[in-house]
Amino acid sequence: MLDDETREMLHQALAEIFADEPSDLWGSLQSTGVDKALVPENKGGIGVNWAMACELLEIAGNNAAAVPLAETMIGHWLIDLAGAHETDQPTIAFASTDAPVHLSRAGDTWRVEGTLRRVPWGSTATHVVFISDSPSPQLVVVDRQASGVSVTSGRNLAGDPRDDIRLEGVIPAEVAPAPFEPRSLLVIAAIARSALMAGALERALTLTVEYANMRVQFGRPIGKFQSIQQNVSVLATQAAAARAATEAGGEAIDEWLASEDESLFHSVAALSAKIRTGEAAGAGAAIAHQVFGAIGFTEELNLQLFTKHLWAWRDEFGNEAFWADELGRQILGEELETTLWRTLAPVGAGITLGESK
Amino acid sequence: MNALTFPSPRLSEKGERLRAEVREFLDGFEWPVDRDAATAFGGYDPQFSEALGARGWIGMGFPLEYGGGGYGLVERYVVLEELLAARAPITAHSVADRQSGFLLLRYGSERQRQEILPRIAAGKAYFCIGMSEPDSGSDLASVRTRANRVDGGWLVSGTKIWTTNAHRSHYMILFCRTAPAGETRHEGLSQFLVDMSTPGIVCRQITDIAGGKHFNEVHFQDVFLPDDAIIGTEGDGWNQVTSELAFERSGPERFLSHLRALEEFVRILKQHPSAEGTRVIGRMVSHLVTLRRMSRSVASMIADGKDPALHAALVKDLGTCFEQEIPEVLRLALQTEPDSDASNAYQAMLAHVILNSPSATIRGGTKEVLRSIVARGLGLR
Repeated sequence: MLDDETREMLHQALAEIFADEPSDLWGSLQSTGVDKALVPENKGGIGVNWAMACELLEIAGNNAAAVPLAETMIGHWLIDLAGAHETDQPTIAFASTDAPVHLSRAGDTWRVEGTLRRVPWGSTATHVVFISDSPSPQLVVVDRQASGVSVTSGRNLAGDPRDDIRLEGVIPAEVAPAPFEPRSLLVIAAIARSALMAGALERALTLTVEYANMRVQFGRPIGKFQSIQQNVSVLATQAAAARAATEAGGEAIDEWLASEDESLFHSVAALSAKIRTGEAAGAGAAIAHQVFGAIGFTEELNLQLFTKHLWAWRDEFGNEAFWADELGRQILGEELETTLWRTLAPVGAGITLGESK
Repeated sequence: MNALTFPSPRLSEKGERLRAEVREFLDGFEWPVDRDAATAFGGYDPQFSEALGARGWIGMGFPLEYGGGGYGLVERYVVLEELLAARAPITAHSVADRQSGFLLLRYGSERQRQEILPRIAAGKAYFCIGMSEPDSGSDLASVRTRANRVDGGWLVSGTKIWTTNAHRSHYMILFCRTAPAGETRHEGLSQFLVDMSTPGIVCRQITDIAGGKHFNEVHFQDVFLPDDAIIGTEGDGWNQVTSELAFERSGPERFLSHLRALEEFVRILKQHPSAEGTRVIGRMVSHLVTLRRMSRSVASMIADGKDPALHAALVKDLGTCFEQEIPEVLRLALQTEPDSDASNAYQAMLAHVILNSPSATIRGGTKEVLRSIVARGLGLR
C-alpha cells in the first residue's frame, strides 16, 4: 500500500505541473508516471489503489485538464492485469449493446469487427483497449495503426476528442483473458468520470466564491447578498456530495478487487457514484453561471472550461438515468423480505468480522 | 478544515457486532402499536426507552462512571441509525441521548453529571430543549426569557415555544438571558438545568399540522431555580449552545426520518416493478448512501475530538432537502391518494411524510440559517 509520502509527492508533482501550464501538458504528466499510477511498482508503475487514483483524477478535473489521463490510467492497468504487452498510450472503449463488436477466432488468429463509438482520445491514442464478452471475457488490444482500423473524429462539449473507431476484420495486437466482465469496466470508467467531475465542480465553486467577493453591484460585493450566499452554499453542498460519492466509488472498486464477487455491479456505492456526481454537476454548474452573470457566459473567462467538462462528463459512460436504472434493478433484485435498509447497510460492510473479542 | 473534505468514515468492528445485536433485538421486540400506521411515527414509549437503556444503548459515549457502557460515538451512531431505520419509538429519550447528556458531560457540574447522566443512560430521564421563543426563532440571541439573581438562586420569567415533549420531560435545558447584551448580543446568555416539576412552569400543548401532539408553549412565571441549576459558566451560554447544536445537526435523524416511506415504495416495486419506479429507487438510493457516508464522516470527526460545525450544517441542509424530496418523487412514480387513516401502509406513510415534511428544514436550524453558516465558512462575507 502506498504511503503518505508518495501520496504527498504525487499531489505536489501534479500541482506544480498544472501551475506551470506547460505547452505539452500531457507529456509533462506522463513524465511523472501518473498515467501508469495503477500499475504495480515492480512493473514500472506507482501501485496506487483506486481510492488514490480517484484523488489524482480529481486533481486533473480540478484543472479541467484536456488530457486522456483517466483512460490511459485504466488502459495501462487493464493491460497489466491481463498480462498483455505494455503499450505506449492506450485508451479505453466500451462495446455497448447498441453497437456490438464481434470477436472471433479462426485457428490462432483473432479478428474484431464492429464500431467503437465515441472513444475518448481515440484519434490520438496508440491503442484502444476494451473487453469483449463472447465467448468469455477477453481483453482486446487494438493498434490504431492496424490494417482495417478507421477513425471518424468527433468532439465532446468541452472540445475533447470523442472518436468513432471502425474495425473491419482487424487483427488485434493482443487478446488475453480479461480480468473481469465488460460491465465492470463500464462502472470503473463511470467512477473515473465521477472523480473528474468532483474535481471540476470544486474548482467551479472556488472560482464562484472568488468572483462573488470581487464583483461589486449596488455598492457592495455581490457575495454579501443573502440570495447569492444561499445559492453558493448549495453549490458547495453539491460539490461536497460529489466528492463523497466519488470517494465511496473509489473505495468500492478496491473492496471489489479484494473480494470474490465477479461483478462490480453488485456494489451500491459503485453504481451510486455517477448518479450523485452527475446530478451535482448539473445543479452546481447552473449556480456557478448564475453568479457569474453575462461574463461567465463568454469564452473570456475560465469558468466555461469547467462547466463544459461537467456537462460533457456527466453523459459519458452512462448518465444519471442509465445508472439509476441499473442501481434500481439491483435493489429490486433483492429478496422481498430484505428491507432496503438492510440491503444498503449489511452487517460488517467494509470490514472483516473476526473472532469475538 | 476544507468544507468539502469529509474523511472516510471510521468503521468499527465492535459497532458492526452491535448492528447485528440491535437488529436481533428489534426483530424480537413486541411492538405495542401497528408499526405501519401513521401514528407509529415518532413514537414515545418509556418502556422501550428503558429496554434500550438496560442494554446500554442510550448514553453511549458517556464515560463508565456516568452510566456509559464503554462504547464510543461511532458505535452510538450504528445503534441510532438502526433504531431510526426501524422507526423504533425513541422520542422519549432521544433529546437527552442526542444532545442534553453530552452538554452536561461537557459543561455540567460534577453533581449534575452524577445525578443525571446515569438516569439518561438507563432510559429514565427525558429532556426537552428550551431555546425558541415566540419572538426568537432563527435569531436565537434575541431571547427575552430572563433569569434574575435572587438569594440562593435565580427567578425565571418568560415563554419558550416549539418545545417538543416539554409536557412529558423530566428536565429542560433552558437557554435564557442572565444579563443585558454587552458589546455583542452573544454576551449575557446562560444555560440552566430545569426540573420540569418546579412550581410556576406551565405547559400548553400545540398540535402540529400532522396532528402530532408534541409541541408545547412553556410559561415560566417567577420560577425559582437553585444556584446549582446553572450549566457551565454564567454568561457563556452562547458558546455552549453552539456546540450543542453541532450534536443536534449532525445525526442520522436528519436524513433517515422518512426512510420508511421509501422502504414501503421499494417493497411494492419488488412485487410490481415499473421503469419509472426503478429509476426513482436508483436515484434516491444514490442520494441516501452518499448522505449516510457524509453523516458518518461527521460522527467520526466528532469522535476524534474535532469540531465539524460547518460540515454538520452542510449535511443537515442536504439531508433535510433529501427528506422533503422523498414524498414528492414517490407520489408521482406510484400514484395513490395519501391518507393518514388508510390501512394501506404506503398511503399512510405518504400522508405522514407529506404532512411532516415542512418541519425537516426548520427544526434544528432552518436551511437558510445553515446555508449562511456554510457561506461564511466558504469565505463569503
